[in-house]
Amino acid sequence: MPVSPTPLHSAAALAIDARNVGRVYKAKPNPIVALDGIDLTVRPGELFGLLGPNGAGKTTLIKILTTLLLPSSGTASVFGFDVERQTSQIRRIMNIVSGGEQSGYGLLQVREQLWMFSQFYGLGVREGWRRVDELIDLVGLQEQRVQKVSQLSTGQRQKLNFARGLLNDPWIFFLDEPTLGLDVSAARATRELTLAWQAAVPGRTILLTSHYMAEVDEMCDRLAIVDRGRILAIGTPAELKHRVQSESIFRLELDRLDRGVGALARLPGVISAASVAGNDNGADGERNTILVKLVLVDDGALGPVVSALAGLDAHIVSLQKSEPSLEDVFVELVGRGFEDDLTVHQNGTGLRSAGSRPADEESVAEELAGRSR
Amino acid sequence: MTALAEAGTRWSRQADPESTRRQSIAQVWRGFLTATRLGWQTEANWTNPVVYFLYAVCTPVFATLMLVFMIQVISGGNAPPAYRAYVVIGSGLWSFVVAGIAGLAWAVLDDRERYRMLKYLFVSPNDLLVLLLGRGLARMMVGAMGAIVTLGLGVVVLGLPLDLARIDWPVLVAAMVLGLVSIVALGLILASVAMQTRQDSWHYPEAVSGALFLIVGAVFPLNILPTFAQAFGLISPLTWWLEAVRRALFPDIQSGIGGAGSLYASLAGHDAPSGIEALLALLLTTVVVTLAAVATYRWSEHRAKERGLFDVTTGS
Amino acid sequence: MTAAKGSAERTPSAARSPFVYRPTASPEEAARWEPRRILITNVRSIAGRAYPRLIGLRREPSWILFEILLPFLTTSAFVFVYRALQSPPEYIGFVVLGGAMTAFWMNVMWMMAAQLYWEKDQGNLERYFTAPMSMMAILLGMAIGGLLMSTFRAGIVLLVGTIVYGVVFSVDQWFLLLGVFVLFLTALYGLGMMLATLFVLWGREAWHLTQIMAEPVYFVSGLNFPVARLGLFGAAALGTIPLAVGLDAIRQLAFAGSTNTGSFISPEGEALLLVAMTIVFIGLARYLLRIIERLARQDGKLITRTS
Repeated sequence: MPVSPTPLHSAAALAIDARNVGRVYKAKPNPIVALDGIDLTVRPGELFGLLGPNGAGKTTLIKILTTLLLPSSGTASVFGFDVERQTSQIRRIMNIVSGGEQSGYGLLQVREQLWMFSQFYGLGVREGWRRVDELIDLVGLQEQRVQKVSQLSTGQRQKLNFARGLLNDPWIFFLDEPTLGLDVSAARATRELTLAWQAAVPGRTILLTSHYMAEVDEMCDRLAIVDRGRILAIGTPAELKHRVQSESIFRLELDRLDRGVGALARLPGVISAASVAGNDNGADGERNTILVKLVLVDDGALGPVVSALAGLDAHIVSLQKSEPSLEDVFVELVGRGFEDDLTVHQNGTGLRSAGSRPADEESVAEELAGRSR
Repeated sequence: MTALAEAGTRWSRQADPESTRRQSIAQVWRGFLTATRLGWQTEANWTNPVVYFLYAVCTPVFATLMLVFMIQVISGGNAPPAYRAYVVIGSGLWSFVVAGIAGLAWAVLDDRERYRMLKYLFVSPNDLLVLLLGRGLARMMVGAMGAIVTLGLGVVVLGLPLDLARIDWPVLVAAMVLGLVSIVALGLILASVAMQTRQDSWHYPEAVSGALFLIVGAVFPLNILPTFAQAFGLISPLTWWLEAVRRALFPDIQSGIGGAGSLYASLAGHDAPSGIEALLALLLTTVVVTLAAVATYRWSEHRAKERGLFDVTTGS
Repeated sequence: MTAAKGSAERTPSAARSPFVYRPTASPEEAARWEPRRILITNVRSIAGRAYPRLIGLRREPSWILFEILLPFLTTSAFVFVYRALQSPPEYIGFVVLGGAMTAFWMNVMWMMAAQLYWEKDQGNLERYFTAPMSMMAILLGMAIGGLLMSTFRAGIVLLVGTIVYGVVFSVDQWFLLLGVFVLFLTALYGLGMMLATLFVLWGREAWHLTQIMAEPVYFVSGLNFPVARLGLFGAAALGTIPLAVGLDAIRQLAFAGSTNTGSFISPEGEALLLVAMTIVFIGLARYLLRIIERLARQDGKLITRTS
């Protein structure tokens, strides 16, 4: 059987090679452009992240790469195998786990469910049971070994999905929002598992999609920021953050800001002003204060802002200079915030974001920060 | 009136037990109507009216045809018209039973396995029982369509001797009302079962209605059955419903319950029940079945809650 | 965090990691499967998919009541119709035989035809399409799981019906009977596989088609009487519905010498018809699966839960 990778492009050894990939869904009243000419290369052994809000096109790209969807235009290959024509080869070397996945049969026990999938990947009968037990231990589902799948919690279910994803020892693992809906410890376990799996064998590749910025920042070797079907930037987290390094970012806590953050955005030297938590005005519900993120051309622009706040009858409760985050990169690139309740006012414009804020973004960030300490 | 005063008035109205009861009845009624409308939409919005009509009548018409043909095969065209009429009526009315029993059970399976809505319905202010009854009613309408068309074809094509002037309307109406209540009660029992069983139990209602078909004298008189099977038939409301409807529509038709050597005749001391007698027996058995159904349902609901069965998918 | 590793070679220490199962030197090697491995994977996938079917039965014994006892009572109802008509004894046998064979048809319609549609709704179809086995293996697994279950049900209905109603069979050609029965199963489940793929294409309409088809098929297949009595309809059923052919052939063979089993075709001819049906249905199922996969990948909806 001819299984040699098709030399679609010059770099046939790339783990992922997408050239000008477009995808349009038929819809009424207008077709939806999910991907608009994506160019992406991922090297073997990379943990590559796709970061973007809901509807950015991340899952569509994953579906194309995992042979579930055809691109409307362009070409893509996985380890040199064409996603349109060499689907069998790709399916033998990859696996996919999605957040909130419910696949399987509720009546089966954890062990049985995994064994069934092991057979789909060609493991022998006894070999399958052995491998299943090994994976159950690995993901920490020992106590649920003979529990019915329908009785698992969300976190346990995701562990089960991970075990399923590892059954065939894939060379490339597609993780589509793998920590979606998980609590802090379950999400941490998932991330640790992912990294440990990848570290075990050189060349194992992961494509991770997430809208948890801290997660992508911490885990990925490189990432692409995606919005509305287009890649806006690709690089390592450090490289991307360096793009906004030249600007000064401050986190301001105010006792009040009756005229809204828009008043600050119009000041000279202010690139953008955004309310970052609570409600539209950035009110912190617990402390009854207003939180504002200011992006300034340089530190010198802070003086006029402080003066202006005095004129607005607003008192500064705290002031902190922030290191740039991927969120800042996103705001810089897209001109709007990533999350639902992030209102960004740029000089001359006032835009509301369209994405949705994950409930535990803060906890992800805090937990990762704690881990890195 | 100030907002505060308005709120105060509203509060005092809510505090009035009579008013609260009225509101809760209105709430139950609204829930029931919504569930019926939803049931009808999920039943009917998948195709155009012509296909839907075929869908509604296909099963009862062909089930009746099967029986008519069996009679034809054996009698070689010389089947007694009275027996053919007996079979057509029983088989046509059976459409109500199949649809009524399946409606509630399928609502449970549909909402749990397909739409994943059962848990949300359960935690809504409405009683799940009321919502299921609404969903079941929608399917019952499909059954009604099948029954009417089958009986209509029986009259027009097979020459069923229907005389509108001789129909005993009061008995017919009372029997239909009680009969439908008993069918819904049986459906509720099946819904209770579906709440406990796996997704593949779609055809359980069909199996139950098929088994009931044997003991209720739908297509042959009970006296053909062994005595113990006749006893089961006599405690089923469906037996009395069919008998009452049959007698109301066709006063001269043979009784499905009595007759020479029947258990009924030996117990009652006369050959066949009158229309009123059938109606009273129907009332009694319907009350018993309905109480049993509600008790079974409550038990099932409790068990489902205990075992977390409202939000599982159970395919195999 | 490690930087891009670049190399696809495996180190000796990697082989001892619990994260490593079947080490391969490169993705290219891992993707290279010999025909034997492809075959074995598909065979194992059949067993894998049949497994939940059989486990489901063990885990929920309610099916004994609903799938054996109650259907037996339904069959009994038709026995009593014939008794009421004082029919010849073979007709009671026809009903018992028909009641047993119904088990397979019910299983094909409810647990085969409508099944892929459910798999889609539960998110399984998408996982199947990303795994390396053929979807035909999944369909076959579903079929075999259901077939074993239905054979059990049919056997009990036949056995109990024969004893309770005193049915007397008269078989001259046992091997042909067995062969026809096996062919009947392959043709019927081939039809089930084909319908399963069609039903994914048709979506919710298919679910209702399952219900629409039940009674008409029973009728035109001559479930309780020789199909030849239906004339042209019977002949048409024999040309298209495996249940009709299988029933007619088995009826002729199980009641050899009876004057009431007259048919258009001999059992041998019907065996050939079943072979042809098997080839056509399984071929169509395979063809339709390819279409589904293509359409699914084009539209992005067919195999993904959308409701």
